[in-house]
Amino acid sequence: MTREPRPRGDTGPGGDPDLEDVRAAQGDRAAFAILYRRYVDRVYGYAFYLLGDHHDAEDATERTFLAALAAIDGFRDTGASFRSWLFRIAHNQVANALRSRGRRRDDSLDRVLEPVSSTDPAAEVTAADDARHVRAALATLADDRRQVLILRFVDGLSAREIADVLGRSEGAVRVLQHRALRDLAERLAATDDPPRAV
Amino acid sequence: MRTSPSVAERLDAAVELLADGATPSVAAAASRLAGDERRLVDAADRLRRATPAPPLAPRFEAALGARLAGMTVRDPRGWALRHPGRLIVGGAVGSAVGVGVTAYAVWRTTRRPSAASRLLHR
Repeated sequence: MTREPRPRGDTGPGGDPDLEDVRAAQGDRAAFAILYRRYVDRVYGYAFYLLGDHHDAEDATERTFLAALAAIDGFRDTGASFRSWLFRIAHNQVANALRSRGRRRDDSLDRVLEPVSSTDPAAEVTAADDARHVRAALATLADDRRQVLILRFVDGLSAREIADVLGRSEGAVRVLQHRALRDLAERLAATDDPPRAV
Repeated sequence: MRTSPSVAERLDAAVELLADGATPSVAAAASRLAGDERRLVDAADRLRRATPAPPLAPRFEAALGARLAGMTVRDPRGWALRHPGRLIVGGAVGSAVGVGVTAYAVWRTTRRPSAASRLLHR
C-alpha cells in the first residue's frame, strides 16, 4: 500500500494559514463552509481511528463542527492555530464518546479499511496484512499514546499543535510520541512472524 | 548555549522526514538515530503506511454541510453585536426614528384645523 507524503503540521513562520478564512467566517458564517470542507475528512479520520466505528466517528465529527461553528466568534489568534483549536474540540467530543460507551474498544478498523487495488496483488495482500497487524498493535496502546500517534500520523499535526490540542508542552508531546512508538515497536516485534528488514 | 537534541526530538525530526516522503533509512540517518532508536523509525514508517485517511461517506459529508449552512442564516442581533460600531449606528437610527415619530404625532395633535375641516365639522 503506497502513500503520498502528508501535508505538514507545522504552520510555518507565516503563522496560521487558516486565519484569513477564520476571520471571513467570523464576519459571515457562510464562509465557514471553506473551513468545513478543508478539515472534515481529517477530523473524521481522527475520530474514526480513536473510536473504531464509522457511526461513532460521524457523530463526533458532526458535534465537532456544530460546536466549532457556534464558537467561531470566540476564536482569537493568540498563538495556537485554528487547526489546533478545531482538533481540541474534536478531542473533547471523542473523549465524551469514549466515556459514554464505557471505554469499549472496537476492532472494526480492519473490516472497513480495505486495501486499494494494485498491479501486484501479492504485495498488496502482504501490505494489507501488515497494516492490519500495525493497527491491531496501535489499538492496544494507552489512550494518550494512541492520541498522539493518530494526531501526528493520521492528521499530520506538528508536535506544537498536538501540545495545544492536548494541553501539554511541546517537549512532553515529543516524549509521549517517543514512548508511544517504543511501545508500538515492542508490540510489533512480539507479534511479527519473521524478523522484519525494512 | 544549545544542548544537543534529545532522542525524542531527533525521533520527531525523523517522523517529519517520513511525512515528507523520506525512506526510513534516510530519515533515521538524517536524524542520527541508530540501533534500537532506528527500530522506532521503522515502526513509525509502518504506522504511517497502515493509517490511510478513512473514506468519508459522501452522504454524511453533504448532510452535515447542509446542516451547517442552515445554521449560518444571519441573525440581525448577532450581526450588530459582533461589531460595536454597528450597535451604535443601529441605536442612533432607532432613536432618530423614535424622535421623528414623536415629533409627527405632536405636530398632528397641535396643528390648527384647516378651513375645509372647520366647515365640515360645523
